[in-house]
Amino acid sequence: MAYALVALGFVLALNAAGAVNFAHGDLVVLGGAVAVFVALSTGLPAVLLLPVVALAIGVIGILAARIAILPLASRPPEATFVATIALAAIIEQSLTIAMAGAPRTAPPLVGSGSFEIAGLVLGRQPLAIVVLGALLVAAVWFLLERTQTGRRMRAVAADRHMARAVGIPIGRYVTLSLALAGALAGIAGFLLGHQFLVAPTQGAGHMLKAYIAVALGGWGSVPGALLGALGIGLFETFVSARFGDAWASAALYICVLMVLALKPQGLFGEPVGRRA
Amino acid sequence: MRLAPFWLVVLLLTPLVALLALPPFGQRMVILVGIYALMGLGYQLVFGQLGALNLAQGALFGLGAYAAALTAPVLGPFALPAAILAAAIPAALVAGPLLRLQSHYFALATLALASLVNLVAVHAESLTGGANGLAGFATSLPRGPILLVTVWVCLIVGVLLYAQLFDGALGRRARLLREAPLVAATLGIDGAAWRFVTFVAGAALAGLAGACSAAMSGVVSPEATGFSIMVLCLTLVVLGGSRHPMGAVVGAALAVGLPELLRDLQGAWLLAYAIATLAVVLWAPEGLAGLIDGLRGARRPPPVAPGLPVSVPPVRGRDRLIVDGVSKRFGGVQALDDVTLSVERAEIVGLIGPNGSGKTTLLNVINGLERADKGTITLDDLNIERLPAHAVARAGVGRSFQALVLAGDTKSADLARAVATGAAFLLLDEPAAGAGDGERAALAAFLVGLGDAGRGVLIVDHDIELLSRVCDRLVCLERGRVIANGRPAEVRADPRVRASFLGLEGIAA
Repeated sequence: MAYALVALGFVLALNAAGAVNFAHGDLVVLGGAVAVFVALSTGLPAVLLLPVVALAIGVIGILAARIAILPLASRPPEATFVATIALAAIIEQSLTIAMAGAPRTAPPLVGSGSFEIAGLVLGRQPLAIVVLGALLVAAVWFLLERTQTGRRMRAVAADRHMARAVGIPIGRYVTLSLALAGALAGIAGFLLGHQFLVAPTQGAGHMLKAYIAVALGGWGSVPGALLGALGIGLFETFVSARFGDAWASAALYICVLMVLALKPQGLFGEPVGRRA
Repeated sequence: MRLAPFWLVVLLLTPLVALLALPPFGQRMVILVGIYALMGLGYQLVFGQLGALNLAQGALFGLGAYAAALTAPVLGPFALPAAILAAAIPAALVAGPLLRLQSHYFALATLALASLVNLVAVHAESLTGGANGLAGFATSLPRGPILLVTVWVCLIVGVLLYAQLFDGALGRRARLLREAPLVAATLGIDGAAWRFVTFVAGAALAGLAGACSAAMSGVVSPEATGFSIMVLCLTLVVLGGSRHPMGAVVGAALAVGLPELLRDLQGAWLLAYAIATLAVVLWAPEGLAGLIDGLRGARRPPPVAPGLPVSVPPVRGRDRLIVDGVSKRFGGVQALDDVTLSVERAEIVGLIGPNGSGKTTLLNVINGLERADKGTITLDDLNIERLPAHAVARAGVGRSFQALVLAGDTKSADLARAVATGAAFLLLDEPAAGAGDGERAALAAFLVGLGDAGRGVLIVDHDIELLSRVCDRLVCLERGRVIANGRPAEVRADPRVRASFLGLEGIAA
């Protein structure tokens, strides 16, 4: 479920910026790191920590939009790629320095422990993650599909020039999308940070998985990205349980390469023209 | 851009000074600069010249390093060519499917490949030594001066070749492929072949660089295949200048020198490096080498946009272009429906019809940018309906475009380009759009000149007066079908044409 949040943010940023945001994975890690530090320094309970993390990474998302994405809007997508890769390196290096290289664990969302429903033993933490993830996905869906702001965000994503032509301030909505993407990434980082550890070098891995989810699920499609992310999550859990982590990753990459070799346009083609 | 003497001096003096004046530690740094620069130079071919974001260069570097480490005890110095092959052969094998991908999928696929290589390096312990890597192997070349000379001789040769190759026509072709692949194809440039050659050559350089790094450090670990090497390679090329012949060298010098300069900051040098890269992307897209050229006053004047060609030479080639029964459907829209027409040499045929009637689609189908669902297109006895665009162009069909795709381009330049291919037949898409009266007169004269020079012209335009004056025949399309074909006066008098097209446009026949 946390992957779904990563992929959701990734696809929002992708659509808004018209280019892959290579720093997205590092925003996830940053979310985990912020959770760690704020929890250590203030002792805030996790429920209050959540909005703090979302807000903080949302602001970083805005900065990313202002620094590395909007100024390059008129240049080829490769310029944005490079700028966001540089941004990713900046975040990663800053974190390495700040954390002195030692991985940390983020606090749990709710207390640990488990309970039983109809004979199934459920951990409270995984359950809380699933519930929270579902709530957030529903909220984003509501925002995109049912509000004027969401419609404008989609308009900007679908056709920037047309959106400008009908009087939508592009910059504001790109920034807004990136803020939302950042907030989602931050929350995902917080959630993943308890389950796994928070280490500065994980960013590339998160980014790659979101990238794969989006490529498999249909470039630029929000439900496709969610499906792709859930699929990757299940696939990894299943394969790594049987064969180990290394084989799970290897199998995932090989699948991606085969899909791309057979269907150069992605698994479900591209609904909206050519984007990069 | 031929290499300026200034840069040649820099290239030659660096290793000389290092050999004669620097302590072993300094020599090591100069070797490292050379190694990174070799890797970056290879990267410039794909990323700089073709604009494709290849994220596997680091992995190819690692392949070279491992190959050199594994073969050096047996092959000695011949481990270097072995390492080149170890990177170039896999690259050539995956190039086919990989290079068909569009920008973001290409980046993803290369990233996935690189991650696979990295996984293998970490987990295939019997071969690669696992996470600890390989150490203590006999190196292919002795460290120190011999390695320094080898690396820098390779680098100097590489930079000179690069500067020579991408100066002039080849560099302009690369730019066209990068910025306007469709235009490049219609000029007969084979993009697939270009991508293959640059990708494999880039891989070979990465392999060589990897092998040299193995020789220098005597250690190869999975980090050599990792994302950080890739990021280093990308950032150094961007920082130095992604197309400038000296871009990789300048970037590599910074990548090696910066940590020394910023030694007080310790781990922060990578941070500073990343910030510098971001700044360069934002404010100096030509990179630092270009910036240095600017300071030296070596900036070239921007090219002057050419006017229409004043004379059109006659060309040899085939005599007749025949479109026979061509249909094309896009989803639910029948864009072309059983279209048949022909263009002879020295004939100017105007293609008219309301918006959306299939005019541009017909041009796209003829020159291979779109594939017809049905029907044949022939140049004399040569079938061209299945050929890729660049092959159609080489067979003698040139093309100009409706909308400009290159920055700083003009309609005249687009026409001049099409004529300069020496194509016997030219497909011109709305050359008069946006032109003033004077320009239209010049265009009319130019079109007549094309006919006089024996070129066959198929021209789409909305300026019916212009077409009537210069064309031998007019063909009118409506919803993908030919509804009239004949002398301009006849076609303009045709009631169906008047109803569907001229009436809509409000022009009296």
